[in-house]
Amino acid sequence: MNARPAGANLSILARLRSRVPLPLMPLLALVLVLPLAPYLFALSGYALNILMQAATFAVAVLGLAVVLGYTGQFSLAQAAFFGIGAYAVGLGTVVYGLGFWVAMPLGVAIAGAFGFVLGLTTLRLGGHYLAMITISFQEIFDLVMSNWIAFTRGPDGIAGIQRPSLLGRPLTDDRAYLLLCAAVLYLVVGALWWLPDTRLGRAMKAVRENELAAEVTGVPTLRVKVIAFTISAALAGLGGAFFAAGFAYISPDNFNFGRSVEFLTMVLLGGSQSPFGAGVGTVLLILLPEWLRFLKQIYLAAYGMAVVLIMVFMPEGIWGLLRAAWQSVARPPPPPAGDVPALALDIPLSDPAPILRLVGLKKHFGGLRAVDGVDLEVARGTVHALIGPNGSGKTTILNVLNGIYRPTEGRILLEREDVTRARPHQRAARGVGRTFQNIRLFPGLSTLENVMIGGQRLNNPIARGDAALRERALSALEFVGLSDRAQVVVKNLPYGHRRLVEIARALAGHPRLLLLDEPAAGLNQSEKQALTELLRRLRAAHGLTIFLIEHDMSVVENVSDRITVLNFGKKIAEGTPAQVLRHPDVVAAYLGEPGHAAA
Amino acid sequence: MPLLELRGIESTYGAVQALKGVSLHVDEGEIVTLLGANGAGKSTTLRTISGLVHLARGEILFAGQPIHRRKAEAIVRLGIAHVPEGRRIFPGLTVTENMMLGASGRAGLSRARMMQEVEQLFAIFPDLKRLSGALGWSLSGGQQQMLAVARGLMAAPRLLLLDEPSLGLAPIVVQQLFAVIRQIRERGTTILLVEQNAHMALSVAGRGYVLETGALTVEGRASELLDNEEVRAAYLGGRRPAAGEATR
Repeated sequence: MNARPAGANLSILARLRSRVPLPLMPLLALVLVLPLAPYLFALSGYALNILMQAATFAVAVLGLAVVLGYTGQFSLAQAAFFGIGAYAVGLGTVVYGLGFWVAMPLGVAIAGAFGFVLGLTTLRLGGHYLAMITISFQEIFDLVMSNWIAFTRGPDGIAGIQRPSLLGRPLTDDRAYLLLCAAVLYLVVGALWWLPDTRLGRAMKAVRENELAAEVTGVPTLRVKVIAFTISAALAGLGGAFFAAGFAYISPDNFNFGRSVEFLTMVLLGGSQSPFGAGVGTVLLILLPEWLRFLKQIYLAAYGMAVVLIMVFMPEGIWGLLRAAWQSVARPPPPPAGDVPALALDIPLSDPAPILRLVGLKKHFGGLRAVDGVDLEVARGTVHALIGPNGSGKTTILNVLNGIYRPTEGRILLEREDVTRARPHQRAARGVGRTFQNIRLFPGLSTLENVMIGGQRLNNPIARGDAALRERALSALEFVGLSDRAQVVVKNLPYGHRRLVEIARALAGHPRLLLLDEPAAGLNQSEKQALTELLRRLRAAHGLTIFLIEHDMSVVENVSDRITVLNFGKKIAEGTPAQVLRHPDVVAAYLGEPGHAAA
Repeated sequence: MPLLELRGIESTYGAVQALKGVSLHVDEGEIVTLLGANGAGKSTTLRTISGLVHLARGEILFAGQPIHRRKAEAIVRLGIAHVPEGRRIFPGLTVTENMMLGASGRAGLSRARMMQEVEQLFAIFPDLKRLSGALGWSLSGGQQQMLAVARGLMAAPRLLLLDEPSLGLAPIVVQQLFAVIRQIRERGTTILLVEQNAHMALSVAGRGYVLETGALTVEGRASELLDNEEVRAAYLGGRRPAAGEATR
């Protein structure tokens, strides 16, 4: 019997099968051999130019798939990065006498560098700010290229760009050059197709699906976004470099804002979450105008109409629609079989110091004193509950603890170290796990992927490589009793299961301190009992420290060693469950029904 | 004639068949509770009634009229208010504005009368009165839940669909909320209540149904359900209530 979880090493074929609808396989094979067509059939120079344009554009559009489809960030400057690559080859070979094979990588590097700097300075903003700033960058690029005539030759552009040689043979034949462009394109498609199943790719998807949850789970979200932006810009540069050498002439008109919009339309049309989709979109948007040319005057209107219709009826793009259609008839992938090691948490219990100390913690939002001077110690290996009326500052404390908010005053000591200014993913790297009051999973990813992302945190003491990560994730799922749902897309799980997936995601990262925000909310009685059991097992068998917020007193009473009560941002009581739940202030402010409080 | 009657309703949610022929009725002036595990289809039932989920088969009658072909907005205007789980309040509006929007389906309601009703609800939810000018997003989770319930009540519905109203509320607020639910019934509003806190739900409800994987398995008077062995084991924990979730 195979002791490893099945599919720990997915073969390329298996991956292909899981990602590409079966009926489309022959089409894919056809596309693969398409660049050989000019050798078999007589194609006009015009047709060859169209294919060359499609191949080079597609590389840039694939870059957009990384930043938009995988990572969920918007960019409207792809044509500018495309232009940087093109101008590097144009100026490099024509003006500075560099060879193509020097100028091309230079162009990729410069485009990547611009992407890196632009990303680093603007990705903190996100959303429509990012769109605006990339538009500005695009406009600046356009103005510089048109007006800095001494350097760029201005609107006249650069003519006479030579084709490169390969293995001593100049690729002056359009057919040979097309073959080279296609090879580059297929390499990029292959790489991007591989990417989503790597650590980086999963981190990108986590950012796309829920950035806050990604950061708290240990994904360095800013770094991931900057990397995505850099890759995207570098790919645009790559496409631009081959475009310049292919068409021998470039001018700023080729790389204006309109072109950026065109790239964006291509990726959205084809389906931004798959490299195949990006390819389909590019080819379609280049061919569509050719097909519609017979319409003459109304050609542009028909073209616009066609694009709008596709977007309206296929919001996920053409590839997204095909995939969805295939998934509705194909059998869902089976849950992974094989033995999974039991969950181990590997927590040193020797240190007698409290695992967590809050010193004079304050968090004010304008005039609202959500947390107003709280001192608190959480002892190692205990379950510590935080209770209090709605709006008393409980979740705020958890958010400050996590690094989502900076405290107004006070300090947070985690295992004696001051982490007050650490970012959330850095705290995750120190072993702080967390669940949310209003469940924050990565809804479009599978249960397994969600939990694997939890295991990706820095310093997680597991072996390197995806196989170990997968195994860890399966152990965590097994622990919460959901290993049979590993392949289910999380948004299709019922509420109670989603709560458990969130806990499993935290457990996959070997937490030392687990923060739970109302884990029992929305669970029914039997599920609550199962949760209580689970929390007890975590503490008893694994020595995990749990700090939880909970309104269900049956859960709190049953699992807690110690309870702290908050009201209006201040601590009003603290002690064992028996002491605290009888405390008159607690009964008055929170529990109500004095007769039952001590039950 | 019952106020609400479901006849063999079926609906699908994505690829899953969520409801497999549910028939139930709610009479004018009663509180009926729908119990069941997560994923059993309780929320889907409410969403199907209010027109948010497409009905595949079956009939829904409100006051004798079929409503299952109507759009969600039209169903609201008939007097069915739905308070969904998950606190869907308007984050950029104040508490008062959120509540006033709850009455937007009521034609010919004067502003003075509307403010009077807001004040009446403030008497029930003193926390909301204190926060009347605060923006929705700044409320804590529990306060948002109270606001969602209050907004639903502003519609002055004939039938109120409450989905997990006690979710994330402090015990004392849960007690207050259920006291409010009793008051609402006394004002003549009929309520279909989905709730995980079965003790509380059965303490206010006259009758109840148990839903399991999309089909009804048990139905009866609240007192019968409280005594039912299976119900006790699955939804009541088979033991007497602990502090904070006690029945009155």
